[in-house]
Amino acid sequence: MGERLAHRSAGVSMAVLAALLVAACGSTTQSATPKTYTGTLTFASFNPFTGPDASFGPEMDAGCITAVHLINKAGGVLGHQAQCITVDTRGDPADAVPAAQKMLATTTNLVGMNGPSSDEALATVPIINRAHIPMFGDTGQAAFNKSTYDYFWRLTPPDDAAGVAMAVYAYKKGYRRGAAIFGNDISSQGNVPSLLSAFKKLGGQIVINQTLALDQSSYRSEVTAAIATNPDVIFTEADPQTDAAYLSQLQQLHGLIPVIGTEPTAQPPWAQAVGGAIGKDNLAKIYAGAQPYAPSQGPAWDVFNTELLASASEIPQPDQWSQDPYTETDYDAIIIMALAMLVAKTPDPAFFNPLIAQVVADTAGATEVHSFKEGMDAIAAGKKIHYVGAGGPIVLDKYHNSSGAFELIGYATDGSNPQLDVVSAADIAKYH
Amino acid sequence: MPAIGFGLITASILAIAAVGFTLQFSVTNILNLAYGDIMTACAFAAYIANHAGVNIWICLFIAALFGAVFSMLLNRLVYFQFVRRGTRLFAMIIVTIAVSLIIQNVLLAVFRPTFFSYHASPGPSYHLGSMVFTASQLAIMGIAVVAMLAVHLISTRTRLGRAMRATATNPGLARSCGVATDRVIDVAWLISGALCGIAGVVLVLNTATFSEVTGSNFLVPIIAAAVLGGIGQPYGAMLGALTIGLAGEVAASVISPAYKDVVAFAILIVVLLLRPQGILSEVATAKEVAA
Repeated sequence: MGERLAHRSAGVSMAVLAALLVAACGSTTQSATPKTYTGTLTFASFNPFTGPDASFGPEMDAGCITAVHLINKAGGVLGHQAQCITVDTRGDPADAVPAAQKMLATTTNLVGMNGPSSDEALATVPIINRAHIPMFGDTGQAAFNKSTYDYFWRLTPPDDAAGVAMAVYAYKKGYRRGAAIFGNDISSQGNVPSLLSAFKKLGGQIVINQTLALDQSSYRSEVTAAIATNPDVIFTEADPQTDAAYLSQLQQLHGLIPVIGTEPTAQPPWAQAVGGAIGKDNLAKIYAGAQPYAPSQGPAWDVFNTELLASASEIPQPDQWSQDPYTETDYDAIIIMALAMLVAKTPDPAFFNPLIAQVVADTAGATEVHSFKEGMDAIAAGKKIHYVGAGGPIVLDKYHNSSGAFELIGYATDGSNPQLDVVSAADIAKYH
Repeated sequence: MPAIGFGLITASILAIAAVGFTLQFSVTNILNLAYGDIMTACAFAAYIANHAGVNIWICLFIAALFGAVFSMLLNRLVYFQFVRRGTRLFAMIIVTIAVSLIIQNVLLAVFRPTFFSYHASPGPSYHLGSMVFTASQLAIMGIAVVAMLAVHLISTRTRLGRAMRATATNPGLARSCGVATDRVIDVAWLISGALCGIAGVVLVLNTATFSEVTGSNFLVPIIAAAVLGGIGQPYGAMLGALTIGLAGEVAASVISPAYKDVVAFAILIVVLLLRPQGILSEVATAKEVAA
């Protein structure tokens, strides 16, 4: 998740300023009656397709293409066929702002989009919001945790939701005294506020909060200070060498205690370093790691995956996206917008955008649906619907965020990561 | 008090590395920024031997030998070619940076981007007052003491030591007086490389794991210790290592771990503001003149 953070702060600042100026000048007013649409409706995949984060774009587009295939197979939306277009932001606000302006000015029947990513979200969300185009961002930036943009939605967890998942799991395991041991890099520190807040809300106590200077040869003073507070669990994210040194010195000075890490600690290099330092058997005994969870099973995922795999003519190597939480939620985003259009009886974003939350809400009496076709039939029958997506149940908060579920994985000495538990989206939302 | 004990361990590793670094600089006048990467290469040499079943303490000698030969060959085959052409100090620094990157990337290509550990137990723990040391940490401190003593004896009690000091002070004059400066320089690289190899292994014993960048990550404290003591002064490097090692651990214990480096380098800056030549530079120069 951390890699989705934007790093070009100066460029971002300039682009945000430009975006605000454009937004201020380009005021639009909502009409009392929906606009009339003729022809094909367009969904955009607004993401980097070139540059350092060029992998983001195809990931989004695979979800869009799959969704549009299924919408069109079901007869389209209110008689309109749908299509996907790609808009390359190049992962740079300086390129993304003109790309957004061009997209908004020249795209016929643009009714919704996937994106933007963290690379360009701060710069482009105000512009797109002002144009009243619903967007499902794949940005992980905490700046959007309490977004007030009406047209901004997010189905993937923010970068700091991992801290909540760690706290919930620790509390469930009976740990009440936690030591927060995080590296002094931005990505690691991003987890700390939500961890502290959630663990406190749950009734736990963070007995020490250490920020580690990375890649030191010794952490013995830090370990001694942590031991003195008598924690029963360590929460951590630091680079592999740092955590390996810290935990091996903890092992020498005191003995190991349970460790709960974030998604980067679930990566092979971390396990290799720490397992080598403290012993793989010991790592297997003490470790749990929190990472975003997409079940990649169930009726909605079956529909998504079948169509995805059948789309090889448009999506190169489609199976690579089968279990990708971002592709799954991008697929869900297009389906949700199409279903909201059916409920609103118009593809006009100003009218269907307020109904997006209603389409996914698990309200009493709502019929659970797992595809556009099922939803369309239920709406035609006059029923309220509750769409459960390929990426799992969607719980939108008042800020249009669905943090999604997290899974806790362990470590096995053969290098595999058995699932230990799942922290639900509802729990993430409750303690975030 | 425990922080002082921990600081002594860090200082021991730092002293071995910093003395090797500054000894070579004093004789050759080459600021070898590839030193950290040579440490890593030596750690890998020990790793290969260790995973072939060799005891880690024997691997320490293998790493020292590897470091000595590697450093001497590096000088003969690369650095000396530039020195002979009259390349200036700054350009030589760029050359050493290039060598650093080459070593790092060769290690990356050979060993792949992952982490490695030795088959070595830290041994039982011993309490000395409120300080706790494992057997391997006591061994590291012992190795540091022996290495420092050896450097001291070589420098002060042997003809080689006098020749090294003469070469360091004025190579042209030393050559005129019959000192085989080329051979002295070779020996300086050998000794520096051996210390570099030992430092690489004891560093990894301390961190428990390493990758192709572990040595280069440790280069800044090494240079800081060498500069603090007075660049080119082995005794200064020992003192600098002690200061940096203790300051870091005490800062982590008393202030915040996040400011560990900040405090150590703040001390470096303050000392250099007051004594730009480093702590021991003038003392050593005065002794040279007297001798």
